[in-house]
Amino acid sequence: MAGTTMDVNIVSAEHPIWSGTAKAVLVPAYAGGLGILPGHEPVLSVIQEGPLVVTEPNGAKHSFEVTDGFISFDSNKLTVVVEQGRPMQNIPVDETGIQ
Amino acid sequence: MASQLALKSRIVSTGSLEKIFNAQEMIAASHIAQAREVALNAKPYTDAIFDAVQTLVSHSHIAHPIVRKEEDNPRVAVLALTADRGMAGAYTSSIIRETEDLLNRLEGAGKEPELFVYGRRGVSYYKYRNRPLAQTWEGDTEKPGVEVADAISRALLDAYMTPADNGGVCELYIVYTEFINMVVQKVRVLRMLPVEIIKSDEHAAGGPDMLESQHVMPLYSFEPSLDEVLDAVLPKYVRSRIHECLLEAAASEVACRQNAMHTATENARDLINDLTRKLNASRQASITQELTEIIGSADALNKKEE
Repeated sequence: MAGTTMDVNIVSAEHPIWSGTAKAVLVPAYAGGLGILPGHEPVLSVIQEGPLVVTEPNGAKHSFEVTDGFISFDSNKLTVVVEQGRPMQNIPVDETGIQ
Repeated sequence: MASQLALKSRIVSTGSLEKIFNAQEMIAASHIAQAREVALNAKPYTDAIFDAVQTLVSHSHIAHPIVRKEEDNPRVAVLALTADRGMAGAYTSSIIRETEDLLNRLEGAGKEPELFVYGRRGVSYYKYRNRPLAQTWEGDTEKPGVEVADAISRALLDAYMTPADNGGVCELYIVYTEFINMVVQKVRVLRMLPVEIIKSDEHAAGGPDMLESQHVMPLYSFEPSLDEVLDAVLPKYVRSRIHECLLEAAASEVACRQNAMHTATENARDLINDLTRKLNASRQASITQELTEIIGSADALNKKEE
């Protein structure tokens, strides 16, 4: 089950933002950055405003700016629920993405 | 029989009304597509929140005040969702009728209802009758955004979370129109708070002892803690439910308006046909009269010559 990818679904109150598969996601969790890899234990976590970085299986990165909300990870499926969010343009993000 | 001139002017004015109704109908039809899109866009969010709440319910016996409030407080809040504009048939009036019913029922049960209204028509109805309104919102009833839902749910949650001594309420009812299909819309009263979390079918039998019965849900860990996750998720749940109601009411309003305008257009066409027939009959009658007059006088002249 714990493959190398997971399904990611990012939704905001008004419309879905992004969905696809990823090999890693970095979310601005309550107590700092939280990295989610495929096969993570089921978790429901509050997140706060900040950048969210999705790494696709081919290494491409998408970063989003999200407001407060929560994430839920379960059976290799990550759902990010936020009030508002938008893709960030042209901002290079490294592994330490979240300060 | 009315004069031909009067008939003509009535036909012309009915014709221009018909154009207006027809235009309104087409506008409503285009808004339906929009309303559907907005509802479709908001659905993943609502679903995700619903799933999260399901998970939370399966993990704990929630004692959050949003779910249960044990207070002896007669005050309740009633939110009525009406339209901003008219021309929607009985849309607003049936909401108002249902709201009045509910208020009477609540008062009969010894409660003290406080009224919250969304939509200009409803607000002006109650203002005109000098009924005290706790709070009102206007604008965008046809396409309510998240902002409106946010403002409404914040005000209502505030009222709900305020202790009874400071004027808080202990229940919240929403009167809105359920969108069943394009032709049928039904007014419904929904008790929004305290939240009754509907368990999905396979869990329906399980109460608080669901954890023991079957572990369909995997064990979650909560960050930072279960209580804080609850604090974050439950208000959002309420807000998304309210937003859902707003969207449904908006779809119903637009559908009502389209139906009303469709009927109005048809009525105008019928009226025009009717008037045209009358006009033709009266023109025919006047021609016949002229002819008989001419023939009659010709006859009279002929007789004289003989």
